[in-house]
Amino acid sequence: MSKVYYQRDKNFEPDFEQFLRVLRRDIPHRPTLFEFAMNDRILGKLSGEKNENKSSRLAPFRRLIKAFTNAGYDYTTISAWRTNTLDFPKGNMAEKESRSLNAGSMITDWESFEKYPWPDARAGDYELYNDLGKLLPDGMKLIASGNGGLLENVIDLAGFENISLMYMLDETLTTNIFNFVGERLLKFYEIVASIDTVGACIVNDDWGFKNQTMFPPEMLRRWVFPWHKKIVEVIHRAGKPAILHSCGQVKDVMKDVIVDMKYDGKHSFEDLIIPVEEAYDLWGKRIAIIGGIDMDFLARMPVKDIQRRSLAMLRKQLSRGGYLLGSGNSIPDYIPDENYFAMISAVKNI
Amino acid sequence: MSELLERLSMLVEVGKINKVTPYPPEMKDMDGASEITQQALERGIDPQIILNDGLMPGMSRIGEKFARGEAFIPNMLISAKAMNAAMDHLKPFFDGGEMPSKGTLIIGTVKGDLHDIGKNLVKMIMEGDGWSVIDLGTDVGGDKFVKSVNEHKEAIIGISALLTTTMLNMEEVITKLRENNSSTKIFVGGAAVSKSFSEKIGADGYFRDPYSFAQSFN
Ligand code: B12
Repeated sequence: MSKVYYQRDKNFEPDFEQFLRVLRRDIPHRPTLFEFAMNDRILGKLSGEKNENKSSRLAPFRRLIKAFTNAGYDYTTISAWRTNTLDFPKGNMAEKESRSLNAGSMITDWESFEKYPWPDARAGDYELYNDLGKLLPDGMKLIASGNGGLLENVIDLAGFENISLMYMLDETLTTNIFNFVGERLLKFYEIVASIDTVGACIVNDDWGFKNQTMFPPEMLRRWVFPWHKKIVEVIHRAGKPAILHSCGQVKDVMKDVIVDMKYDGKHSFEDLIIPVEEAYDLWGKRIAIIGGIDMDFLARMPVKDIQRRSLAMLRKQLSRGGYLLGSGNSIPDYIPDENYFAMISAVKNI
Repeated sequence: MSELLERLSMLVEVGKINKVTPYPPEMKDMDGASEITQQALERGIDPQIILNDGLMPGMSRIGEKFARGEAFIPNMLISAKAMNAAMDHLKPFFDGGEMPSKGTLIIGTVKGDLHDIGKNLVKMIMEGDGWSVIDLGTDVGGDKFVKSVNEHKEAIIGISALLTTTMLNMEEVITKLRENNSSTKIFVGGAAVSKSFSEKIGADGYFRDPYSFAQSFN
């Protein structure tokens, strides 16, 4: 056991209700935080356990939950890559800091579509989410997310440039690929949302890049959004809120997100696209705004600037509601630890 | 003649590759960029004019629409396909199959970074605007850029990066290029890159999209 580098408060008690209040666009009773994913080094520093213990099925989660608790979150986010549930087999993709969205494509035509080993969405170890209940402190829930979203998985299976041309040149094949992925993701969310320990779901699907959506809104409305709408419906039917994590410039489809898909929260913001402060003024009355402390800002600005911006956002949370403090995307290993701590320590300094 | 070239521009812009391709749906069974280029050649129009007044304006218009947010990445990709289909007819007329060019761009995604869609789009638009493009691919360090620019002394450089970590590697590449030849023109772009960052690392320019980059030389 090594040292715990940061703790919100020795007596901190998670209270998922505070998170739910924000998703209803209310004001929480105390400062409330959000993070989707954190790198292993920071999980080690937060939990006081340098390495993940892999000795049993539940063991690695003990450290994860401890890290989320010490940092002061009311939940632990569990991505499907950790749970041996739904995963679409991919071709070989070389990866460094980033990877090519054209790499590894396994479905390029009807023949490869028919040969593709489609996974059974029911077959995973969903019991795990239940069993994790034993490890959760009182008041804490899990937030479940998928192993990539609908468009993301289709891009991985077909390749970005392939699918870009395919939807124009072979609509039937395109529809089939989206349906095969969509049905499985829908089943995944239907199952996880029904589990008691899961308090909310994140649907993670990047749609945009720096300037606009990667595909025209009409394309997204035809092939992507109907599945998202169904996914949100099954999450809502289980009585739980649904958060959309989608990076890039998506302003042209925010109305679809709010009015049609009916997401409760939107995660992922960038200063070069629309700073979270502006997003909050623009959409905050209709959808909870989550995270948004810009990644480049978090990676490169001095601690005092990070503290100032985080505090200002937290004040909005506590006066107007509907906002959770966190990063614009996640805490990858290139975010200096002290910068991350500076952001989350705003809850102590308010 | 100008009517045919105008039609060719339009076909490249909308991405009608050839007669059998079903896109755009409202142009089903109509001749595409490939057939019209062939017809233009048969009418004796100079290949250089077909390129300059037919194909290039089409590519430029889609690039401009993309920059204004009125067209999307797939539109650029299909326009490039249409342009390439037309070029296949023209290439035999140019010296050694090489197009006359405005200049040379050496482009690559910076070391540590494998993402390539942004870089590929820049390449497409610059080629469509009459540049020769040398694509060094992804994960490209300073030495490889230096080697390439020494083989093409007049070339300009374009570097792409996706994340803050990899964007920091741009500075190292720029330093190496400057040590090699202080007058090499270097341009940067990509998701996390901003104008202020490009100034800080001493690049000669930052562009948010490929069309504005191409236009800055016209
Ligand atoms: C798709 C995507 C992913 C995909 C694929 C990424 C990949 N290829 O590796 C996935 C889901 C895997 C992913 C993962 C991650 N991502 Co990501 N991702 C994106 C997203 C949404 C789009 C990137 C993209 O493909 N754009 C499409 C191309 C066309 O756009 P472009 O490269 O910007 O190019 C255009 C212009 O910039 C310009 N241009 C580009 N290069 C050049 C060069 C020159 C010379 C010129 C003139 C112009 C120019 O022309 C192009 C056309 O206009 C961006 C959001 C964004 N703002 O872009 C986040 C983003 C890049 N990701 C981000 C992060 C943090 C990550 C992760 C670290 C998350 C994590 N914790 O794991 C990982 C790490 C990457 C990895 N290992 O793959 C952050 C980076 C922040 C930062 N400042 O560092 C971003 C900005 C999102 C955010 N919310 O902040 N990501």
